[in-house]
Amino acid sequence: MSRPRGNILGAVLDRLLLANGPLAGAGELGLGDQIEEAVQARPHVAALLDGLADCFVELPGEAQDGILRGLEQQAPVPFGELVELAYNAYYTDRRVLEHLERVTGYPARPPQPEGYELGAFDEAVLGTIRGSGPLFRTV
Amino acid sequence: MGADTDVLVVGAGAAGAAVSARLSESGVRVVCLEQGDWVLPKTIPSGSPDWEIRRQTTHHPNPNVRRLPADYPINDSAADLKPLLYNAVGGSTIHWGAHFPRLRPSDFRVRTLDGVADDWPLDYDELAPYYDRNDEQVGVSGVAGDPGNPPRSPRQMPPVPLGRGGELLAAAFDRLGWHWWPADVAINTRPYGDGRRACNNCGPCDLGCPRGARSSADLVYWPRALRQGAVLRTHARVCEVTVDSRGRATGVLYFDAKGNVRRQRANVVVLACNAIGTPRLLLASASKRFPEGLANSSGLVGKNLMLHPVAMVTGLFDEPIDGYKGPFVTSLVCQEFYETDRARSFVRGYQMQLCRSNGPLGTALGGPYLPRIDWGTDHHRMFLEQFGHGASLAVTAEDLPDEGNCVTLDPTLVDADGIPAPAVRYRVGENTFAIIEHGISRATEAFAEAGANRVVAPGLIDSAFHLLGTARLGSDPRRSVVDAFGRTHDVPNLFVADSSLFVTGGAVNPASTVQALALRTADHILQTRRTVDVPA
Repeated sequence: MSRPRGNILGAVLDRLLLANGPLAGAGELGLGDQIEEAVQARPHVAALLDGLADCFVELPGEAQDGILRGLEQQAPVPFGELVELAYNAYYTDRRVLEHLERVTGYPARPPQPEGYELGAFDEAVLGTIRGSGPLFRTV
Repeated sequence: MGADTDVLVVGAGAAGAAVSARLSESGVRVVCLEQGDWVLPKTIPSGSPDWEIRRQTTHHPNPNVRRLPADYPINDSAADLKPLLYNAVGGSTIHWGAHFPRLRPSDFRVRTLDGVADDWPLDYDELAPYYDRNDEQVGVSGVAGDPGNPPRSPRQMPPVPLGRGGELLAAAFDRLGWHWWPADVAINTRPYGDGRRACNNCGPCDLGCPRGARSSADLVYWPRALRQGAVLRTHARVCEVTVDSRGRATGVLYFDAKGNVRRQRANVVVLACNAIGTPRLLLASASKRFPEGLANSSGLVGKNLMLHPVAMVTGLFDEPIDGYKGPFVTSLVCQEFYETDRARSFVRGYQMQLCRSNGPLGTALGGPYLPRIDWGTDHHRMFLEQFGHGASLAVTAEDLPDEGNCVTLDPTLVDADGIPAPAVRYRVGENTFAIIEHGISRATEAFAEAGANRVVAPGLIDSAFHLLGTARLGSDPRRSVVDAFGRTHDVPNLFVADSSLFVTGGAVNPASTVQALALRTADHILQTRRTVDVPA
């Protein structure tokens, strides 16, 4: 990735997915490198980033957000694709999932092979509805 | 018999598997041709860190997105809802949620009871023994005694866990005085079947089940059919049903894995390609004798497509309800508004099916449940408010048949073998919109009663989960494509045994009815095979 594009993409990612407690923003986590190839494969998304001036990276966060909101309004489809690429990378990143586990208890692993514990079905919950008469039309 | 096989089945999905197993059990020589392949457990991505990305790509339920070699393109540009299906051994049960309800008695008598659509040429009682037989094969988790449905045999296994979301909604339905019941589910809660283990509540059933707990047709029927001698040929894409000079089916032509055209002869041909694939094949089999397509003297092949429009209503709770735990779309159903009520602005009705929630990425991206979570300064706060805090009610509407909703052959689009692709035209009807509006309102009420702090209802989702009605059953050859047993009116040794048969759609997931009908058709073939008019 060329440095200017890489810097801009990293700065954009840091505004899309900000630092979260001890966890750095998506750009600082290095996710720009991860999605750069996918960005290149989508010329309309790459063009969005190329349209940002090099000085974007130097602007304050609020100013960056304003520019990005403008882009989102002007080009919702490619901007949406960029957001999806960012979310895909972020929410499958081990560091993010480990942070999520600490905050929510959601295990930082795929659903299989361990699965999850859930209490077995308890027929006592049927007490009220069992008392109903037939609720379907006879023919 | 002079043919290569007694019965040729096209399609190895829910129906084709059931037909093949039932016929081979009785010593009938069966060959099944399937354009897809086996889905191997090691390819199921639910144990992979990128499982939520694979859900959007290689394992997407829409073939136009997935675009695997076994898939054929569908021109859905004129369809309000985009058809979902899967091409493999097991068919669309490969990515299904395994919700396994039955139609109600009234579903078979819609014309008589409500003055719309048509009655089926069979009733619930005729199908009930086949539902039972199929349940025994599949293994159903649930509990008998649902006051919303006729009595049925004891379920093979106890219900899947309700989870916290299910408990909250069940209590809310009780307080509202509405029907609810644990769903019948084709997922093992105990070991059942050929080496199939119990569900471990991992969540994304749609990606496949490496434990074999979810009863897809490749696991339930095919091992038995193969043991009984049925022959299953994969990578075999059928392009034409062939007929002789007397108009009897003689077999099919198909492309093998190398693209060579092969012929398979048979005394009886059974189509089980789903309600898009079956009319596609019948229409593609037009000939001088059948210029409008095979078995299409009624002009109804491909027409009356029904898709079960669905709206998703999501409730968010203050407390975490761990919605990512448990089979993703099965726990309980509410059928309080299933039957016609003249006080409402629509006929027929809907089911509300409780769904659990997404993993982290699915939560952030949104989709059918909720909109995408906005980026920026509020993202992490909004994410934590939603992730693990939501449950959804899928409002599934009965979809009345409309001849304008149809499958035709696309004039230009073709699949990898050059076979014309299907084109789907589908518009959501006014009655359906009224049903959906009512359902969204009632689901919102249920979530409020359950204590949700926010309810979100994006409206009708643009996917079609169930494909129905394009070669429908009937006694009148002018008003139907096949008779009450699935035999085409025009070709005596050609049968249809899939979701195309549905005369009306009901408001429930169709798989158990599809398989019950398939077993009934197989029995009819067995009973009549000595007298059926077969090619010389």
